[in-house]
Amino acid sequence: MTTVSVQNVAKSFGTIPVLHDIDAVFPQGTFTSLLGPSGSGKTTLLRIIAGFVAPDQGEVTIGEKDVTGIPVWGRNIGMMFQSYALFPHMTVARNVAFGLERRGIKGAEAQKAVAEALDMVHLSDFGDRMPKNLSGGQQQRVALARAMVIKPSVLLLDEPLSALDRRLRQEMQVELLRIQRQTGLTTIFVTHDQEEALTLSDRIAILDKGRIVQSGAPEDIYENPQTRFAAEFLGDSNFLTGVVEAGGVRLPDGTLIQTTATLHANGQKATLAIRPEKMSPTPLEGATNHVAAKILTVIYAGPALSYLLQTPDGTRLKLFQANRDGTLMREGDSITLHWSPAHSIPVQN
Amino acid sequence: MTRLGQIFLGLILIFLYTPIVVLMAMGFNESELYELPFKFSTRWYSALSTNTELLTSGFNSIVLAVITAVVATSIGTLAALALSRRTFRGRNLLQLLLLPPIAIPWLITGTAMLIFFFWTGIGRGMHALIIGHVALAVPYVVLVVGTGMKSVRADLEEAAMSLGSTPIHAFFAITLPLLFPSILGAALFAFAVSLDQFVISYFLSSPGYTTLPVQIYSAIRKGFTPEINAISTLLLLGSMTAILIFARFAKPGAPK
Amino acid sequence: MPNKATPQRASKGARILPQWVSTTALLLPAYGWLTIAVFLPLLTMFLFSFMNKTPMGKAPIEFTLRHYRAFIDQPYLIKIATNTLLMGLWTTLACAILGFLAALALVRCTHGARRETLLILILLPFWTNGLVRVFSWTMVLRENGFLDNIWHWIAPAAGSIAILYSREAIVIGLVHGYLPYMILTCYIALVTIDDAIIEAAQSLGARWWVILTKILIPLAAPGLISGAVLTFVPVIGSFMEPRILGGKVGVTMGTVIEDQFTQAFNWPLGASLSFTLLAVTMAIFATFSGVLRRGTGGTA
Repeated sequence: MTTVSVQNVAKSFGTIPVLHDIDAVFPQGTFTSLLGPSGSGKTTLLRIIAGFVAPDQGEVTIGEKDVTGIPVWGRNIGMMFQSYALFPHMTVARNVAFGLERRGIKGAEAQKAVAEALDMVHLSDFGDRMPKNLSGGQQQRVALARAMVIKPSVLLLDEPLSALDRRLRQEMQVELLRIQRQTGLTTIFVTHDQEEALTLSDRIAILDKGRIVQSGAPEDIYENPQTRFAAEFLGDSNFLTGVVEAGGVRLPDGTLIQTTATLHANGQKATLAIRPEKMSPTPLEGATNHVAAKILTVIYAGPALSYLLQTPDGTRLKLFQANRDGTLMREGDSITLHWSPAHSIPVQN
Repeated sequence: MTRLGQIFLGLILIFLYTPIVVLMAMGFNESELYELPFKFSTRWYSALSTNTELLTSGFNSIVLAVITAVVATSIGTLAALALSRRTFRGRNLLQLLLLPPIAIPWLITGTAMLIFFFWTGIGRGMHALIIGHVALAVPYVVLVVGTGMKSVRADLEEAAMSLGSTPIHAFFAITLPLLFPSILGAALFAFAVSLDQFVISYFLSSPGYTTLPVQIYSAIRKGFTPEINAISTLLLLGSMTAILIFARFAKPGAPK
Repeated sequence: MPNKATPQRASKGARILPQWVSTTALLLPAYGWLTIAVFLPLLTMFLFSFMNKTPMGKAPIEFTLRHYRAFIDQPYLIKIATNTLLMGLWTTLACAILGFLAALALVRCTHGARRETLLILILLPFWTNGLVRVFSWTMVLRENGFLDNIWHWIAPAAGSIAILYSREAIVIGLVHGYLPYMILTCYIALVTIDDAIIEAAQSLGARWWVILTKILIPLAAPGLISGAVLTFVPVIGSFMEPRILGGKVGVTMGTVIEDQFTQAFNWPLGASLSFTLLAVTMAIFATFSGVLRRGTGGTA
């Protein structure tokens, strides 16, 4: 069982704090994304787990073993880098065999393992090529084979797909997921791309300013964001701020927005997050919340339609709709938005 | 307009190469007093082969250049590794300190060395020349190898370590092979710097141990024959070859 | 992305020793060597420049500021210093004009492999022995030398045009020495100028001299300035070129300093003159340090 866990980890570079009191568990066999913007500390956390960076405090365990004091080369990790980091002076086969040699595996046994690893990433005939003669996608497959062949305890991925173009990236996502499922390897994946995180992960941890602000299954975080940051960083969101009153939130213009969630005591300020695709311009059954707004801009993107709206008191809202019948509302139209109280999610600012 | 530019470049090349070609040609001219018309002869090269003074100093110059290349490349490469891979306080200052040996006129550096070596009892001669030449070559080595290090990404070493390499193994398996062309280039560069050095050598050579440029200078001052042209031709061809090989390993045109 | 901002990208090396130990071990040989060979000597020279006489024998040494008054006590030094500065200015000016035009011709009139070959041909002499190249000019400039012979062949009746042992000869030799460097720095500055900028100026009706003075020269200024500094500084410290090409008129600060060490044996005076020269050099570098850092593409 290789569950990876991080307890009470903090790190500063000089006087700049990068991570505060991080506690996280990455259960055996799960695919977890560390999602956050630049400077959120997600890469530093990954590098602490890998052993490239020593934490100022706290512990890292891989499996049952406390590895905090063990250097990178003793941790038995598999790592993929943003730049592929293939050794340019070695053939593909020698790149893959590098980690085996370090473990004393040589000769026929090593050859067999290398062949299997290359077969797994569909590059069986590429063993004699030099890395510079491969495409970006092929190089990344080699990097994956190189990381997997040593049978690591944990696979660490540092934005490995960000240098690929969109189509290749989607292909590699499928490949990565297939191999991860096949091997059941505990995988930690750093990314700033929310779509990638949603597609790949069993679990997502959202980082902001050196803290994990929320973690859980992708659908849990998406449907129930706890903070304004999480709501905005994973997906898109509208925010309405008012004062708690009678189980709802009273907006400055007097409208009462209902929610099924528990709120603070009456009279306190509260912010509600509403996903733009959960709102509707036409009345729906059970959609007991109503807000009037005027359409500022219409964005036509083929299958999807986006509208930028403004309420009479100046709040900006977004509305997403599927393009069902090709009819668009026009800029300048005044409409009423409807949604269910279950979709008003109170969030912390 | 294009034609005009090309003609201008042609004139520049004529300006740069005329004296060099004349110097080389005069080494093959019969007349001792450099008189024209030109009459081909190899007598000065024959004379050179028995001129022990010039030959000894030429030998000294080559030995000195080899020692300088080996020592400066070794210690300069180590410094380049630290400067390009480590972060520490004072790194910018250390990089700045590479400039004085390059930028201060050699006359000043040379006379300062003379004073200091005299004062401390180090004295003049071969060891003093080694100290001086290596000091002049080290900054170039650090610059050339440092530039090479930029092409060896730090994450290659990290990848090796993630696969089980210790830092030392990662250095020998990954960094050093990739850095090798730069190191070789730096060594050739250091060799050329030493071979061409005159001013420092002039102040640090002792009566018993001189280098070829110092010997040529004293010949120019005291009276000379086309033998000097012959040995100068060999010296020019030697350093041109070194630099052309260097240009294959590293980009040409590093600042002097 | 965040690791770009993190100062400690390198891994925490071997755990047995703290990292500063290995860093120091890597740096010590090179910087120790430079300390002994360059930095301590410069300090010692500074100390010597205050001594009343060369410290030989047993006579006690006194410290004095006398040598820094040399320019007042020995007025002929002022004239020599002026000549040296003029020599530097003329050489730098000639290098700047020829070098800028040659770099412009390289960038605008040549392409590809041909341009690369030309660049290497231009830079090649720069890396050969300076002394030998100065010596080679004596063959060209002397009476009945190469130039004189060509002149006689063109105009048999005219007199000699030999200019060896003159200030002009010194400047020609120095220009020959430093022109390749000036071409290089101007070339580096000019080659980065996008053709579209020039086309844009042309489309706005700019004539060639407007393009030259308003676009090319200002954009090439960093290259011109760093080339000029790195020509002027070594030129005012030169002594071998004036001696070989200038003969009796070749008296410069450089030859005066050399004399103190090899003939007059007045090391303290030589040291103080050296240090004055070093101060001028440093002042020039300090003035243009910003441009130099950008103009030559940094140092490491």
